[in-house]
Amino acid sequence: MSAVTALIKKEILLEFRQKHALAGVLVYVLATVFVCYLSFQKIEETQIWGALLWITGVFTAFNAMQKTFYSEKPGTQFYMYTLANPAHVILSKLIYNALTVAMLNVISLFFFILFFGTKVLDQADVLQMLTGILLGSTGLGFSLTFAGSLAFKSGSGTGLVAILGFPLIIPLLITMVRHTSSSLTGVSWELNGLNLVVLFVLNLLPLVLGYILFPYIWRE
Amino acid sequence: MISNTGLGNPIDFKAFMKIWLKVICVALLAYVAVSTFWYPLIPAGLQVNINKINPGENQFTLTGYNTHFVSEKENLQVFVAIDSTARYCGSILNVIDNNHVLVSVNLPDTLSSANIAFVANDNTDGYIIVEQPIKSEGFVLIPGYKEKSCKISVIQTDHKGFGYPYQPIIMETIRNLMWHVPMWFTMFVLMTISFIQSIKSLNSGGRADDNLDKFLDQKKLLISDTKAAMSASTGLVFCLLGLITGSVWARFAWGAWWTNDPQLNGAMVVFIVYVAYFILRNSTPDLEKRARLSSIFNIFAFVLMVVLLMVMPRFTEGLHPGKSGNPAFSQYDLDSSLRVVFYPAVLGFILLGYWLYRINLSIRNIEISNDENEY
Repeated sequence: MSAVTALIKKEILLEFRQKHALAGVLVYVLATVFVCYLSFQKIEETQIWGALLWITGVFTAFNAMQKTFYSEKPGTQFYMYTLANPAHVILSKLIYNALTVAMLNVISLFFFILFFGTKVLDQADVLQMLTGILLGSTGLGFSLTFAGSLAFKSGSGTGLVAILGFPLIIPLLITMVRHTSSSLTGVSWELNGLNLVVLFVLNLLPLVLGYILFPYIWRE
Repeated sequence: MISNTGLGNPIDFKAFMKIWLKVICVALLAYVAVSTFWYPLIPAGLQVNINKINPGENQFTLTGYNTHFVSEKENLQVFVAIDSTARYCGSILNVIDNNHVLVSVNLPDTLSSANIAFVANDNTDGYIIVEQPIKSEGFVLIPGYKEKSCKISVIQTDHKGFGYPYQPIIMETIRNLMWHVPMWFTMFVLMTISFIQSIKSLNSGGRADDNLDKFLDQKKLLISDTKAAMSASTGLVFCLLGLITGSVWARFAWGAWWTNDPQLNGAMVVFIVYVAYFILRNSTPDLEKRARLSSIFNIFAFVLMVVLLMVMPRFTEGLHPGKSGNPAFSQYDLDSSLRVVFYPAVLGFILLGYWLYRINLSIRNIEISNDENEY
């Protein structure tokens, strides 16, 4: 476990040494939400609000994920290969990326409220919505880490992340939009619980499979 | 190698299967292709041309489907059934054609229930029941009122002859069951083969935390991977066929080429995931790396497919039968007339899928050995 925390620390350290990358993603979030604001002005339907929030979230996650493997130099990869257990490497990446995406989505939620106001949230069950956003974000992080590791190893550029990642996150995206939209209308936990369960399962899938299969990807 | 018929050599099981599986496959598919279109739907009642009944004389035309009113003119009886306990016989004024009959019924002032059905009966068709919302005007309704039923000389309760069940709206398109559903069974079988071969491939590839001296069986890795890819590509064809047959069926039954049904969306995602699998393969030039990465993606794709097509639709509302929403087939799922064609269809298409996969694999192997000979 200490190996995993050390690796996560390494990721955070790397992130802060390359502040421009993080800043780039933040500007991307801001710009996307602003474009949404300019094109919609105001949103009254919860369905559209939820869908826009998650479309922004998905593309932000893609943006953040492109650097997770590609920012490391080939030499570093090889060094890590000799040094660390592959299961620890993937666990650290999965956890770190899930946290990053969750953070970015909370920021994007903040921007949405800033631009579109709190009118949509009038009837919302905020705690329920936040649970959904956190679970959805971690799911996005896990799935895209898995796709990113495959795309990186295939050695054919960042375009492949989108091709491999998109089909994997479609079910996640559908459920997230459904959950957020209905929690905005103030549906009870019991009625909306199934969506949370589905989100949880779709979280578990890339997490477990990534953990089991990564050692096979990592082998040189 | 020339394949041997296997007939003269009882020990050579493989060669025997090689021929006979194909013979069984062709025979089953020929049987399915003929019987899907050969047998009619069983006779059923479509509608009556009135929307209200009143005391005294009521005249209406009863429309049947696949019925034989003309040839059964003598035995034909039409009556109005009240709550399936009492009946009032009608006199047949005119048998217009096989599917239309003009009837007049005399109804009393008092009925026990407003639950009304129009029923025809003859020796060939059995009971033809029309249940449609009918307004009853001017009746005194007394629950439990004992009515005088007319006597009918019913002999035949079921229709004679083999036919597929009649379903409102679905009607003749029920035949698509023999084509649409086996496609998905076949895809599942092929994807399972692909999944198993991918696991085999990874197993002979080894993990990063294995001792690096551990023997890496590269040949096995590549062979299993080729099998997985060819199986998945054949499965993808069946997935596409399933989507097409399903889309055509949806146009007739649900009114649109594509509907927001969990199974439809799941199938589309599965299709895209497997297309991504082939993109991943083609964008990885190194053979060993390709085998490794695509095997891993394939395992993920298979698990996702099981979740999307087998688990999720059971929990979300949709239009497909047997789920929450519209259980259109549930009572006919086990209908014997569908079963005798449906099961052979499933088996036949699975054999066809396996056969196509073997052909694909042979072609690929020849290509690979040609490439090797060139250098």
